[in-house]
Amino acid sequence: MYSVSKKIAVTLDRNLVFVHGKGGVGKTSVSQAIALGLAAKKKRTLWVAIEDPMRPPGELLPQGPNLWHLNCSFKLAFEEYAGLKIGMPRLTHLFVQNKLMQYLAKAAPGVHEIVLLGKIWYERTRYDHVIVDMPSTGYGLAMFQSTENISHLFGGGPLHKDAESMLKTLRSPEETGHIIISLPEEMPLRESLELNDFLIRNFEKNPAAFLVNRVFPQINETLELSPALTERINPLATSVEDYAQMRSWLESFNLRIWKDAGIHYGALRQVAPDLQDSESPLIRLLCEQLQREAYL
Amino acid sequence: MKSSIDQTLQNKRVIITCGTGGVGKTTLSAALGIRAAIQGRRAVVVTIDPAKRLATSLGLSGLGDQPTDLTPQVQAAFERAKLNGASLPEEMKGTLAAIVPDTRKTFENFVRELAPSPAAAERVMSNPIFQIFAKEFSGTNEYMALERLHSLHIQNHYDCIILDTPPTRNTLAFLEAPRLLAQFFDEKLIRWLVLPANKIVATGMKKAFSILEGLTGASFMSHLFDFASGLFSVQRNFTANLKRITELMESPQVGFLMVTTPTPTHQEEVDHFIQTLKKQGLHFEGIIFNRTLAYLKDEVPQDTARAKNPAWKEAYDLIHALQKRERRVIASFMQKPVQVCAKLPELARDVHSVEDLFHVALAFDARSDFNTGES
Repeated sequence: MYSVSKKIAVTLDRNLVFVHGKGGVGKTSVSQAIALGLAAKKKRTLWVAIEDPMRPPGELLPQGPNLWHLNCSFKLAFEEYAGLKIGMPRLTHLFVQNKLMQYLAKAAPGVHEIVLLGKIWYERTRYDHVIVDMPSTGYGLAMFQSTENISHLFGGGPLHKDAESMLKTLRSPEETGHIIISLPEEMPLRESLELNDFLIRNFEKNPAAFLVNRVFPQINETLELSPALTERINPLATSVEDYAQMRSWLESFNLRIWKDAGIHYGALRQVAPDLQDSESPLIRLLCEQLQREAYL
Repeated sequence: MKSSIDQTLQNKRVIITCGTGGVGKTTLSAALGIRAAIQGRRAVVVTIDPAKRLATSLGLSGLGDQPTDLTPQVQAAFERAKLNGASLPEEMKGTLAAIVPDTRKTFENFVRELAPSPAAAERVMSNPIFQIFAKEFSGTNEYMALERLHSLHIQNHYDCIILDTPPTRNTLAFLEAPRLLAQFFDEKLIRWLVLPANKIVATGMKKAFSILEGLTGASFMSHLFDFASGLFSVQRNFTANLKRITELMESPQVGFLMVTTPTPTHQEEVDHFIQTLKKQGLHFEGIIFNRTLAYLKDEVPQDTARAKNPAWKEAYDLIHALQKRERRVIASFMQKPVQVCAKLPELARDVHSVEDLFHVALAFDARSDFNTGES
C-alpha cells in the first residue's frame, strides 16, 4: 500500500533536502522543524536560509546538539568559490576585489543563483543532512533555471561543468529530496502545482513530496455544504462558530485541488500561538507533529 | 471624521501597496480600488500578477496589458448593496479599471525607446545575456511596474492609481529595484567593457579579465562585450528616465501602504521597511492589517453537542488564541509612532467576483480612532 508518511520520511532522509513553496506558507518554520527533528536523531544537520535579510549573512551558527544554521550569503560564497577555482590567494584577492568583477558577478544572470546553490552543494558533504529553506516560488525557481542558463551561456567552461554536477545531484533520488509546502488555500495550492510542473520538468526522476501546513481542526461531520453556506452572499463570517465551520469546510474543498491532481500529501495542523510570541515553541510543536506522523 | 485610509484614497494620486507574499495584497489592492471608486475617484489597479490571481478573484478569464473597465460590475454591486441597506453615497460617481502589465513587453518597449536606433535596440535584445537578464534579474519586474506607473501618471486618465507591487521575498526588494538597475547601468564600469581589449593598460584589470575568461569561456566573453556596448548606447537615456521615476516616487502625491498580517513574525520587517522608506524620502501612509479575526463575535454555540465535541473545542481555542495574539500585535503597533490606517477582516470564503470584492471593500475597519478591541 502507498503510504504518504513513508514517502515523506524517505524524502526527508536524503542528504540534501529542498523545502519549496510560495511566500507565507511557513517554509522557514517547517524546514527548521525538519532540521531539529533530524538533529534529534543524532544526525549532523545543517539548516540553510538563502540571503535572509533579517539574519547576519554567511555565519555558521550552532543551534543545538548536531544542529547548525547557515544564512547563505552571495558575497562570501562568491569569494569562496573564486578561491576554489583560482587557487592562488593573491590572484583570488585581485579578482574578487576588482570593482568590475564584483559588478559582473552581481549583474550577470544566473551567476548569483549558481554561486548560492554551489555553496549549498559544497556544504552537503560535511553533514548527514542539509535542509534548505528555499526563497519563495519565483526566486527559488530562478535558482534551478540558472543551471540551464549557465550551460547555455558558458558552454564548455569550468562553470558549466560545475553546474552540470550540481544538476546531477539535484536530479538524484539517492542524494536529494524535494518537498513542496502549501497552505490549504486555493491560490497557494494551485501555485504549488505549477511549481511541481517545473520540478518535474527539471528533475523528472526525482518527484517531490507534498505537505500541507496549518490545517484547521476538521469539525464537519460531512463534506456536504448546507444551502445556508453556499448561498451566502457576503464573504465575511458572522461569528466564531460560523468562521470555524466555513474555514474547516473550505479547506477540505480546496484540498481537492491536490486530490484531483492525484497528489498524496501529508498534513501539519495549525498550532495555537503561545503567549510569548516566541518562535521556538512553535518549531518544537511542529517537530513533534512531524515525529508523531512518522514523517521523520 | 474621515478615516485615514479614506483620506489616503482621497488625497493621493498614486498609492503603492507593499508587503511580503501571503498577506493578501492583491485582493486588498483591488478592494481599495473599489473603495476609491465609491468615493468618486477615477481609479485604476495595476498589479504585477504572474499567478493571474487578480483575474481569478474578479471572476474574469483574464486581464491584460491594456486597461479593463470594471465600472459596470462595480456599479451593479453598488446598486445591489444599496438595496440591501448598505450605507453608501447617493450614486457612484467614480470608475474602476484594472491592468496586469506584460512586464516583458514593457521591458522591450523600454529598450526600444531608450536605444538611439531601432538597430541598436534589436542588437541589445537578441543578445543571450540580455534575454536571461530580462527574465530573471531581480529588480526588472519591479522597475517595469514603476515605468508603467509613470506613464499612467502622465496620461492623466486616472486620478487614483493603485500599484500592487510584485510578490517579493522581502518588502524592501521593491524599493531597491531602481537602485539595483541603476547599478547595472553604472557608466564608469560599463566603460571598461566597451574599451577594446588592447587599450586596457591597467595590469590589475587585464589580469582580472583573463581569470574571468578562464572561468567562463571565450563565447561568454564575446556576448558580454556585445551586451555592454548595447547597454552603453542606452545608458544616458536610462539615467534620465531613472531620474524622472525617482522624482515621481518621492513626490508627495505618492503614498506607500504596508500590508501585513497581525502576527509577531512580521513586526521586525515592518519596522525595517518604514525606516527605509523614511530614509529614502518616500511618503509612508500607514499599515493595513489584513486577515484580522478580532471582528468575529464570540457566541456560545447554539448546538450543545458542538460545545462538547473536542474538534469544535480545538477550533474555538485556536481562534481565541489567534484573536488574542492579534490584539497584542496591533496594540504593540499602536504604541509606536506609526500610523495604522485600517484593518481588513479574514474572509470566510474565497473571492470570486467583483461583487465579492465590493463586500470586501466595505469591510475595511477604517475608523480613524479605532482601538484594538472587538469591532
